Amino acid sequence: MERATTSASSEGEFRFKVVLLGEGAVGKSSLMLRYVEDKFSPRHVSTIQASFLSKRLDLGDNHVDLDIWDTAGQEKYHALGPIYYRGSHGALLIYDITDKRSFEKVKIWVRELQRALGETAVLIVVGNKLDLESERTVDRTEAIQYAKSVNAEYVETSAKENLGLADLFEKISSLMIDKWEKTREISGRTSQNSSSSNGSRRGIQLVDEQNDAAQRTGKCCK
Amino acid sequence: MSTSESDLLEEDRKLRVQINEKDLLCINGCGFYGTPQWGNRCSKCWRAHQIAEKRNIDYARNRTLLAFDRFEEKRKLSSDSRSLTLRNIIKKSPSMFTSSESTSELRASPNGTPSRHGRALSPDSSSARVAFTDWLVGNVPTPVVQEVTKMTKFAEHKIHEFDIAADDMSELVQNFYQHLNDRLNHNKFFQNQESVEVQSVMEEVERYLSVVTYNRLFCPTADEEVGDLSLQERIRSLNWVTAGFLETKLDFKRAAVRDSLDEALTECLSINSPRKIDEKLGCIVRCCHRIFDALRNSAAPTSADEFLPVLIYILLKGNPPLLMSNVKYISRYALPHRIMSGESGYFFTNLSCALQFVQDMNHDSLKMAQTEFEAYTSGQIQPPPSAANCGCNQAIASMEQSLSHLEKLELEQKKLADEMEALGKTVAKMEEEIESSYGFLDDYPTKELQDLLEKVDEEEKKTFQVCNLTAQFQKKKNEAPSQVPNNDAVESQGPKEQ
Ligand SMILES: Nc1nc2c(ncn2[C@@H]2O[C@H](COP(=O)(O)OP(=O)(O)OP(=O)(O)O)[C@@H](O)[C@H]2O)c(=O)[nH]1
Ligand SMILES: [Mg+2]
Ligand SMILES: [Zn+2]
Repeated sequence: MERATTSASSEGEFRFKVVLLGEGAVGKSSLMLRYVEDKFSPRHVSTIQASFLSKRLDLGDNHVDLDIWDTAGQEKYHALGPIYYRGSHGALLIYDITDKRSFEKVKIWVRELQRALGETAVLIVVGNKLDLESERTVDRTEAIQYAKSVNAEYVETSAKENLGLADLFEKISSLMIDKWEKTREISGRTSQNSSSSNGSRRGIQLVDEQNDAAQRTGKCCK
Repeated sequence: MSTSESDLLEEDRKLRVQINEKDLLCINGCGFYGTPQWGNRCSKCWRAHQIAEKRNIDYARNRTLLAFDRFEEKRKLSSDSRSLTLRNIIKKSPSMFTSSESTSELRASPNGTPSRHGRALSPDSSSARVAFTDWLVGNVPTPVVQEVTKMTKFAEHKIHEFDIAADDMSELVQNFYQHLNDRLNHNKFFQNQESVEVQSVMEEVERYLSVVTYNRLFCPTADEEVGDLSLQERIRSLNWVTAGFLETKLDFKRAAVRDSLDEALTECLSINSPRKIDEKLGCIVRCCHRIFDALRNSAAPTSADEFLPVLIYILLKGNPPLLMSNVKYISRYALPHRIMSGESGYFFTNLSCALQFVQDMNHDSLKMAQTEFEAYTSGQIQPPPSAANCGCNQAIASMEQSLSHLEKLELEQKKLADEMEALGKTVAKMEEEIESSYGFLDDYPTKELQDLLEKVDEEEKKTFQVCNLTAQFQKKKNEAPSQVPNNDAVESQGPKEQ
């Protein structure tokens, strides 16, 4: 079981982890660089550190710190996926609209993610390289239908032309906030019903309960 | 005489025959022939022997890192208590965890040390305690200091007392963090914007606990110790895997790249020095930054695809002792945000990935035939040497450096030689010029001049003689009573000549 990590420290302040997953060369690194640094390199070469980036987003009254994690896309590292996406609040499943195979790869990722993270993470399927519309091989409606069928959102982008990126990250942020608030409601209700709020294991724990209770009821314990 | 000689020869032959028959066999009695260089073992037994020997070296080193006495204690602990699962501990003695005695003791003196149960504080622990208390006193009001101290010390005490599996312990510690975190979040003091953040308090708690419970929580069983050893062995068997096989974009020809990689290695190896989780993570973060430097200096992209292979390469080259234990310790007892978010979270995750990759590495992951992979791993064949293979090989690196120095020197020398030649030519040319424009000087001094000079010389001599004569004449005249008028020039020259 995943341990819920502190994604909200105080009211309206959030910190989320988002992983980028997808086959090699679909544009994961480019997408991230374009969004965070507004840079695009046609030569697959950049000089700044581009594997982990943070970006602060203001959405109305909410402030979100996004940690965006790029992952190694080569096939031989596929098996490491679970280590990367562990504890993520959101995942962008990216494919290249001119590459059918990369779309099939997304389906594999989705199945894996849902098995590992259940409903705890927000998934968005992203069709990248929208600027290459004329070479498209993955049908847009097919992709939308697929996303719907797995309970994910669908977005199309171009890292090259900077299309749809701001929307994409705003969308995933607000979806993550929604999800987080929903789970807080649920856990709030269950913890009121259960006798122990901190998941203690039948009396074995590192918290002095007697002492705790005494303090809460205001009794002095000398 | 001749008979004894032939006897000796006979002996010798017998001896040799005997050696051939028996003593050349592998000393392990496996039936194969042994070789003296391999301690009279066959190649297979020699390899096994070497592996065992290296394992012993690793074992000894790891034991030093862990401190010997604690190690013995742990061995006993793990062999005695392997059958004690969490459940039957609870069944056996439910009171063990709510021991009213220890609770009241702690309650009686919230600031007292729970070391009364025979645990002497190490210097590390006592300085951590001082730092922890100082920080709290300096940043939060007294009631909060008391609450945090009391809860933390209770947890510390229980961690030492409970004899449970590491994963269960991890859950308890994480629950404790969560509980304390929630309590502090509800405290009015932290609702004030100007107050120090709850997270900072939690970080201090984690820092403190990671020092004072280190001996209990770090590499807690002999089984995990063995896990470290076999990882080290595994990595050693993969030492032939080079940056080339991992398809990194490192440019080993550049000294700056090699230097960054060396620094990354050093950082990676230093993970065993600190006890504090954040400091261990700091080693990992610095290691990763040096890797990015190496990529940048190789003019390679600094994306995840390039980074992970280099990190794997660093693990294979460094083979850090107790790496598995460090990773487990961090993932079990770190505050969630440290390993789930931020840079330290990202790099720690990548380290976990690299570790997993090394453990699972096979011919597929290196895109080679299975037989080839196995031949390399068993040491039957060596990878072809290349510039990329020996990047971190210091000898070769320094040789390369010397070679480039030599090349530079050679160039300089050639330049110098060229310049000298040019200078020589200029001098020759100038000589020629001088000769042609001042050729008349060849006839110097002329005959007339020489004759003239001779004449002058003779004249001078004559004049001198005359002068001398005059002087003598005057002297005599002076001795006589009457005098002739004085002649200055002659007189002043006179005495000098005498
Ligand atoms: N035309 C076009 N090209 C793009 C776009 N996004 C990325 N590319 C190009 O696609 C190639 C791969 O991009 P990367 O960002 O390196 O892809 P990646 O998914 O990070 O690949 P790996 O890191 O190998 O997993 C590069 O040559 C980019 O310039 C896009 O929106 N449009
Ligand atoms: Mg990439
Ligand atoms: Zn043998």
